[in-house]
Amino acid sequence: MKILLVEDDDAFVQVLTRTLKPHHYIIDTVKDGEMGWTYGSTFEYDLMVVDLVLPKLDGISLCKRFRAEGYTTPILLLTAQNSSTARVQGLDAGADDYVVKPFDPAELVARIRALVRRGSTNPFPLLTWGDLMLNPSTCEVSYREQHLALTTKEYELLELLMRDSQHVFSTDELLDHLWSSEKFPSEATVRSHIRRVRQKLVAIGAPHDFIATLHGRGYYLKATPSDHVKTQTARSPQPVSAWAAKPEFTIDRWDADSILISNHLQSPDPQQQYLAFLNDIWTTTKPDSLNQVSSLLQAIQDLQADHLTPQHQSQAQQLAHKLAGTLSIFGLHKAVHLSRQLEHWLGSQDPLPPNQALLMRHFVLALHQTIQETAQIELSQLPHGRSPLMLLVSADDAFNQSLQTIATSRGIQVETVSPLELDTSLTASDAADRVGHPPDLIVLRLPAEPSKLNAADQALSPTPALEHHLQTCTQRYPALPIVVMADQIALRDRLEVARRGGKLLLDSLTPPEQVMATAVHLLKGSKLPTKVMIVDDDHNWLRTLPTLLKPWGFKVTTLADPQQFWTVLQAVTPDVLVLDVNLPEINGFKLCQMLRSDPQWQRLPVLFLSVLTDSNSQQQAFTVGADDYLCKPLMGGELANRILSRLNRVRAWAS
Amino acid sequence: MPTKRILIIDDEETIQTVVQFGIKMAVGWDVLVAGSGAQGIQTAQMEKPDVILLDVMMPDMDGIATFKALQSHADTEQIPVILLTAKAQTAEKRQFNDLGVSGVITKPFNSLHLPEQIARILHW
Repeated sequence: MKILLVEDDDAFVQVLTRTLKPHHYIIDTVKDGEMGWTYGSTFEYDLMVVDLVLPKLDGISLCKRFRAEGYTTPILLLTAQNSSTARVQGLDAGADDYVVKPFDPAELVARIRALVRRGSTNPFPLLTWGDLMLNPSTCEVSYREQHLALTTKEYELLELLMRDSQHVFSTDELLDHLWSSEKFPSEATVRSHIRRVRQKLVAIGAPHDFIATLHGRGYYLKATPSDHVKTQTARSPQPVSAWAAKPEFTIDRWDADSILISNHLQSPDPQQQYLAFLNDIWTTTKPDSLNQVSSLLQAIQDLQADHLTPQHQSQAQQLAHKLAGTLSIFGLHKAVHLSRQLEHWLGSQDPLPPNQALLMRHFVLALHQTIQETAQIELSQLPHGRSPLMLLVSADDAFNQSLQTIATSRGIQVETVSPLELDTSLTASDAADRVGHPPDLIVLRLPAEPSKLNAADQALSPTPALEHHLQTCTQRYPALPIVVMADQIALRDRLEVARRGGKLLLDSLTPPEQVMATAVHLLKGSKLPTKVMIVDDDHNWLRTLPTLLKPWGFKVTTLADPQQFWTVLQAVTPDVLVLDVNLPEINGFKLCQMLRSDPQWQRLPVLFLSVLTDSNSQQQAFTVGADDYLCKPLMGGELANRILSRLNRVRAWAS
Repeated sequence: MPTKRILIIDDEETIQTVVQFGIKMAVGWDVLVAGSGAQGIQTAQMEKPDVILLDVMMPDMDGIATFKALQSHADTEQIPVILLTAKAQTAEKRQFNDLGVSGVITKPFNSLHLPEQIARILHW
């Protein structure tokens, strides 16, 4: 990454250069605004760092000139004035961010990283290409989790190629980006660097053409499926070279929730990317939060001295609220708890008695310490944790409490809803929202109905409430296991429960331990998600479908290019295939026909999903072996239900 | 289905940034942000997002006031609003529902799962 630094203070330039060097930035320095303009408009930079006060042309005017001339390079303003007027002026002039001197080096580097990222085609904090991963915050590179030791220049070269993976870089461009303007290396230097990086990549198992040459044009990263895929392409009617012809496609990882094959680089693991991003943000949030805690401490000291004004108290309350909100994003549970308690106190009494200050001070100090000690955000602390969620529909408080205790000890979350509240579907979604994901299991425990003492009556008509609640549950979560607990289970009830999708019936006197054992058993049984593969050339549709189908617990793989059909099919081994009719080069009917003539795949359920509504197309689909035909547009629920009913039939045959 | 456009109104910049990143990363939806109720109303009127995520507790104009203002404008009253709030009590939630919001999402949340939650609440 190449940075232009426009700064006239030599001491400051030295500090800045020292701060940025370990992060592999190439820095050109100029000392006045006019030179800044000359350099910035002549050479290519990834970022310009511009001081506010400069000889000849000040920083704000320089920003304005760049923007007026159409230069979009990110600009970071350095200012000694922490006045909002200067900052607003700078941002209005077209700067993207500002840092107030004296600055915290870590914060500056984090802001630079964020700006560079914003300008790159790959906005993620971790850069990946196939099995290669580069972490710009630590400058580490790995291939299939093996560390790759690179020199500074080699690292810079790889980072550049990965940041703009769609681009073929000419030797001139590489020279421009990787060497500062005072150096004049030859094209041979570029070639030798490329050669050395290739050798290092090959040494740890990457293909020789990982960095490919396009003769007469330059170098680019070639899309390479992982070996796992390659070994399975033998039976593919399309030779492996189909991959090579399409460098814009990449498949990063096969075990990700969904493999999205599209024109832009996808992250290998969204959770990891998200975590890296949070850690990046944390480097700037941490000092901000500590400042806010200091302000809180000041308010508490004012309270102790008995001159905290109501206005300041209200401000302090808002500050505590803000802190709780911010820290919760990072999953700092203890700090959030402390902030919330402070927020509560600050809002509870108006004005607060000074003797409250001592306890509050204790909390503020604990908060400070917790934030201070958090150097790294860990995946495990992020909200949700994904422990299984049981939705308990029951009005019996004693039962609910004992089940809750047992569940907690087994790492299962319980969300309790009274049967009366279940009626509104919103309540059901609320229950799920409180923990951030839909339930994995429902336990429906209905109150005894004293009016129904006559067993004969009961045998004739199933309890209306039971029928109703079951219906509500199965409509909302069609694929979930449901345990029904009821009194005196009559035969009709049993039938009704089974018909409505209930998986298990227990007597309502069953002790909570046994209910939990049953639940755990069911949860284990439902752990294998149904794999759905969708082939469609409409990218928007492919992007949306995984979200639409997720509430049903499907593991969705999407594919836009039918050329890769066999490769992906073999790797994913889906339980259900959803095919579009009109696809580039080969249509869905042909694919289906091929599947039906293959002993391994002839039983795979195939659903067609198309905009074609005419009966001819539908007939043709069934002729080539389709199991179902659906017309676009349709809701996620409809597709999910058709998939489930198809699977149920297949499983019924199999058993 | 076209890409969705989400507007987040939250005074906390970190939350804006992280939510924006999480949603873009998870599903690639467009995310607009506003730091105050007033700014949010303006953005909503101009941009007509598909859904608004609205923080309940904000200085000056809180989420409830913002929601009411959105409801009173002809060009924003149709936009579904989901409230973002710290762990709310059932009674409080009922109160929110009575206001006519489309749903409530409680903090803390994992931004990667927000699209899923939104899609579920709005039956997308």
